[in-house]
Amino acid sequence: MAPTPPTDAELNVLIRARLAALGIDLDQLPPGTTPDPETGSPGRDSVLASLRSFVRGTVATLAAYQLPAPVGTDPEVANALSQQHVPVLYPSNSTEWRKA
Amino acid sequence: MTSEPFDRTVDRRAFLARAAALATASAVGATVGLPSVALASSSLSTSTGPGTRRRPLDQPDAYTEPRPAALAEPTELTIAEAGWLIRAGRLTPEQLVEAYLARIARYDGSYQAFNLVLADAAIAAARAAARRPRDGVLHGIPLAIKDNYYTEGVPTTANSFLFQDFVPPYDATAVARLKASGAIVLGKTQMGPLATTRATTPAGVITTVNAWAPTNGGIDPGGSSTGSATAVAGRMATSGIGTQTGGSITAPSNAQNLTGLKPTMGRVSAAGIIPLTYTRDHPGPLARDAKDAAIMLTAMAGEDAMDPRSQGLPQVPDLIGAASPVYHRRRVKLRWNTRIGVLPGFANGTSPTALARAAYLAQLAAIPGATLVDVPLPDEWSLLTGSNFNNARLPERTEPFMPYLRTDLRGFGVSVTSWLQGALLGGNEFITTQRAKLLLLDRVLNELFDGCDVVVQTDPVPFDILGLPEIAFPIGATAAGLPIGTILGGLPYAEDRLLSVVAAYQAVTDWHLRRPADPPTDAGARGAAPAQVLRLTAEEVAELSQ
Repeated sequence: MAPTPPTDAELNVLIRARLAALGIDLDQLPPGTTPDPETGSPGRDSVLASLRSFVRGTVATLAAYQLPAPVGTDPEVANALSQQHVPVLYPSNSTEWRKA
Repeated sequence: MTSEPFDRTVDRRAFLARAAALATASAVGATVGLPSVALASSSLSTSTGPGTRRRPLDQPDAYTEPRPAALAEPTELTIAEAGWLIRAGRLTPEQLVEAYLARIARYDGSYQAFNLVLADAAIAAARAAARRPRDGVLHGIPLAIKDNYYTEGVPTTANSFLFQDFVPPYDATAVARLKASGAIVLGKTQMGPLATTRATTPAGVITTVNAWAPTNGGIDPGGSSTGSATAVAGRMATSGIGTQTGGSITAPSNAQNLTGLKPTMGRVSAAGIIPLTYTRDHPGPLARDAKDAAIMLTAMAGEDAMDPRSQGLPQVPDLIGAASPVYHRRRVKLRWNTRIGVLPGFANGTSPTALARAAYLAQLAAIPGATLVDVPLPDEWSLLTGSNFNNARLPERTEPFMPYLRTDLRGFGVSVTSWLQGALLGGNEFITTQRAKLLLLDRVLNELFDGCDVVVQTDPVPFDILGLPEIAFPIGATAAGLPIGTILGGLPYAEDRLLSVVAAYQAVTDWHLRRPADPPTDAGARGAAPAQVLRLTAEEVAELSQ
């Protein structure tokens, strides 16, 4: 069964905790939704709203993606065979590096 | 069994060179008269420091006799034309620099293309150039440098509060190579803060305008290499350089009637450039035509010990030759027979862009050697190149900026949101997208390039994700006179093929010769009234970020 989607409040805790774990204090930004007039930095509530949207959209979409198994693969072994795709940071460079 | 283990007996570089030589030998007969991409392999570039690869820049094809219209105005000259005049002793680097400085003084208040103009240094460099033997076609040519390239002893801000006091101790490799080729740094150009959007102040206030609409800041000049584009289009530099992570060379080139070349990943060293996304930061030229783009890339390209992404790649081919039109019985033909892939819907509709695309395809098809081919989009194209997969680039901007994120969030100004987004993407998701990149490339090579040699693009991002080369160039104009451009994409390290196609197209069309009218010179022409001050919000920047 799929877990219950997190609420805004739960995501706010997650986001603040994640950033804090990295040493980033969101309270460096102005309170509320009004940007800092001097630097243009957004208010922390505005940023939190954007970050919640990012977690629900990008993070969830990428997490849900599974690399495909070869066409015609028996579903029984599809999960295993989909593991065979390897990560490559520089795919174009790799076309040459793989020739060597 | 050898007397020593392999780790000390096999020199990897020599091994690669031998393997390349063998592969080339095995393909004898198939390599003659083909662009570099068709080579089975090629020997590795030798390690080259700045200034050691200048001969290609002095070949006859690098020089073009100036058009009569350009003779009267040095700032109108292309690199190839200015180089021709300098070689002939009919123009000095100092005259050329002075002409550009005069235009900058007169018009950059309106354009706001430059962050910093190095007038005294440029004149000194021009005088020094006159006292030494010519270096090649770039000898004495003034260039505009995007302000994220390190320039030794010269502030390099990336238009960010974070770098407002940063003075690099050395030149970026690309800058060093251009200077070693004889070029002159005229100034540093405005850009989207940290290379994110069109050029604004770090706080989001729009600065640089489109040279084709200098009184209307609302007309997009393209970003993030905005200032370099406006400087070249506005005839305040002969050529310029930018960087592309998500369309930042192709977009301003298309918006301002230029020919911009985003090379394959690694073709140009990114050493000494403030990073935005390691796997996607491509340095390249914004030029006036294909020949100039080839000249610039020839100077910039090649292996660099400072950047591993540039190593183990094919030699830089003869780009300038590739960008020189070929004639058969006085009629232009393609240098190499080329299948031009057309994506579904590319020229559909009746918009000015669609009509320009249709005319462009018809003109291309009429060039001997060109064949238009309908090609399909690979499986899962929209998903794997869409915004969510595109966002996988964000941790790459977050990680190198961690010290700044911990201490100075407001220093990111209006651009901070995407740096925080990157901190929220987990390692799992990042690895998934790196796995998907190779899958996507395999599909592009097997499903798309199986039927063509180059392919039209409607969006630069997919090939930015993959590191594939793209060239942007003008193909028309709107009823209001604003440029319409397009993009061609190619196979890895096939910049020569792309240049050859665009050079032939530009030999039979004149869109690339159009220049914008000069802007009004009164200081109040734009931006003075409060209602005309345009500013991007953090939310807009997060949406538009390259």
